Amino acid sequence: MTDKKPSTAEIMAMLRKKSAEGASAPPPAPATEASAVPAAASAPAEPAVTPATPAAKPKGTADIMAAIRAKGAIAPVAAAPPAPAAGTPASGTPAAKPKGTSDIMAAIRAKGAAAAGVAPAAASVAVAVAPKVAAPASAGKSPAEMIQAMRAGSAVVTESAKPKFPPKSAAAGKKQELPRRSFPAVFFELICTPYYMAWTLMSAIGGLWGLGIARFMMPNTVLELPSKFKIGSLGDFPLGTVSEKFKASRGVWIVHTDSYDGQNVVYALSSVCTHLGCTPSWLDAEQKYKCPCHGSGFYINGINFEGPAPRPLERVGLVLGADGLLEVDKSLKFQEELGQWTDPKSFVRVG
Amino acid sequence: MLLFLANIGWTMRSYKRDGYYESVLGFQHIPKATVWAFYAAFLMLLAVTHLTSRSAPEEFLLRLPEWFKLSVDVIFRDARIYFGLSVAAFVGMIVWREFLTRDTVGWILFNVGCLFLGLSMTDYDFRQIVGKPDNVPIVGMLFIGGYFTWLYFKKAVDNDRRVAEGRPLAEQELKEQVLVWPDLVYTEMLCMILLTALLIVWGVFLQAPLEEPGQAVKTPNPSKAPWYFLGLQEMLVYFDPWLAGVVLPLVIVQGLMAIPYIDFNKKGNGYYSFADRKFSVIIFLFGFIPLWVGMIVLGTFIRGPNWNMFGLYEFWDVHKLEVLNNRNLSEIIWVVNLEQPLPKPDPASGLISQCLAIFMREGVGILMVIGYFMALPNLMALTFLRKFYVRMGVIRYMVLANLLLFMALLPIKMVLRWAFNLKYIVAIPEWFFNI
Ligand code: FES
Repeated sequence: MTDKKPSTAEIMAMLRKKSAEGASAPPPAPATEASAVPAAASAPAEPAVTPATPAAKPKGTADIMAAIRAKGAIAPVAAAPPAPAAGTPASGTPAAKPKGTSDIMAAIRAKGAAAAGVAPAAASVAVAVAPKVAAPASAGKSPAEMIQAMRAGSAVVTESAKPKFPPKSAAAGKKQELPRRSFPAVFFELICTPYYMAWTLMSAIGGLWGLGIARFMMPNTVLELPSKFKIGSLGDFPLGTVSEKFKASRGVWIVHTDSYDGQNVVYALSSVCTHLGCTPSWLDAEQKYKCPCHGSGFYINGINFEGPAPRPLERVGLVLGADGLLEVDKSLKFQEELGQWTDPKSFVRVG
Repeated sequence: MLLFLANIGWTMRSYKRDGYYESVLGFQHIPKATVWAFYAAFLMLLAVTHLTSRSAPEEFLLRLPEWFKLSVDVIFRDARIYFGLSVAAFVGMIVWREFLTRDTVGWILFNVGCLFLGLSMTDYDFRQIVGKPDNVPIVGMLFIGGYFTWLYFKKAVDNDRRVAEGRPLAEQELKEQVLVWPDLVYTEMLCMILLTALLIVWGVFLQAPLEEPGQAVKTPNPSKAPWYFLGLQEMLVYFDPWLAGVVLPLVIVQGLMAIPYIDFNKKGNGYYSFADRKFSVIIFLFGFIPLWVGMIVLGTFIRGPNWNMFGLYEFWDVHKLEVLNNRNLSEIIWVVNLEQPLPKPDPASGLISQCLAIFMREGVGILMVIGYFMALPNLMALTFLRKFYVRMGVIRYMVLANLLLFMALLPIKMVLRWAFNLKYIVAIPEWFFNI
């Protein structure tokens, strides 16, 4: 463990050795290498541990590793006195399981604190990890897990040690909360590591991009004319005709027909194909609307009969005003397949 | 304008002449070569007369006879015949691959293609469509695509023969090494320069086909997607927009990405071969040639105003009348067979009763679609795809089977539309859901 840089393979090997030791360690030797850290912290070997305190300010993964290595190195020394591990029972408390790098760092910092004198805290953190390692030790997966495993390894608390002093644990868990530095400072330090800086910058740039793209959703134009407009009197639209007068400007045909339900009515059909939204053309000779995009065809009353369009053209609102003029209201929509063509606002009865 | 088009026609012709002449010299056997020489000489004479007289294409000496035009029109006008023939050609290509990949046959094919194009150019309507700057690259693509398919088959047939005779593969015989620098890099650079030059010339001579500014209420007639999406547009004729525009394209892309994971055949790696990879080659080429390239051709040259189909030599008449009335499956069942009105969900009633009414109406179609995707893969596993199922395991097999079924959906729907005027198998316009 005193090696400068253990490779992954080495770490694994070490771990396997450790867990083997932990498993086979005879009960009469309660202070195995494993319980070294808590033991050390609990007083007898205090001077030996103090050099480990610099590890309290880890900057990156490398530091974490270094810290761990340092701990490991100290462990054998500290292990000498057969002190029943003071902190071990803390395992009973559900001390937060480390989830990410920040947790790991917090844990290590806590350990540093422990070395300085707050023994139980260290124990609680260390032990929290220990059970995890026991099983998967031989199959460590990610670097983070490896590190956890390492830490646990250096503090492997044999199961036998656990149940000894359960009462202490609660208090121990509480004490751990004491932060050494103020929160902003820690936060600032975190932000300043290149890793976090990169992520922060990336998300900031991504956010700006997102905003820029969102801007495209609102083009700088006014597309909609007022939705209500007068189109003339009933007499302008003889029976059986389709007026294309308002198609180019407002996208509606004015239809006067009696081919739907046999009623003599005038209504406004929206000139948007119900297939994909192209504009069909009215073919007078064939008496049908025909879409140039995929060939949908509609009868004069708007009912679809050929091509892929799944439903009839939509009607828009049409009312006869008090001044005798017809007024189209494009903000209203009436779909035949939903039974909305019976709505009195969707047509004007003639005669 | 006419002169310009005449020039296009003429350039293509003279280009052809040169090509012929060179290749004729390559033939060693005298009797064969003489035939070619006569042919080439004839073409050259023709070119010279045209070169000197510079007449309008309608007055070229050699033109397509009317009966030919008429019969071609009949074929192309009708989607059924067109699609049937393209599938038949596809099958023929695979069955007769040995014969078709002979050099002479390939050359004759190329000649026929050029002749067909050159002669068709003398027809006014054909020229209008094919000569459009938009469509020139598609003609090019047809020739290039045809050539590469031919090349593949040639090499594959050669290798298959070698394997059958126990000889080493062609790729193994040509194992001597070539240096990246300078050989490959020089070749690449030359290609780059030539292509750039070609693009510049092209850009100068054929004007970009820009149209008037877009308008929300005016759609050009016909309105065509970019050529590479014409397959999708053709799909839209047979399917609901969300299916043909969203689901199927996604399935196509994902299916293509899934190929390496589905494919368990380790043979055919690093050399051309047909016999070793029959299944994959046939499936791929079927999807590519009749279903993708075929649809591009259909969309470019045959779909005219109002998205009607027009023969190659037919005038694009906006008022051409085509009766395409079609019905949903539910209408066929309820109105035609049971002679009852369609059950209609009452918008005022609760969701459940609406669902029931819709299911009453569309039940058969829904069950058919579910059966298609749930039962068919199992049936296929028990019958002709049994080997695949055993080799691939459940998940991979299911992915493969469903991809195949999705691909088959297009031809199936096309045939149904033509045969029964079927619009949608499941039609629930209330929920914008149609299959
Ligand atoms: S948009 Fe009208 S038929 Fe497709």
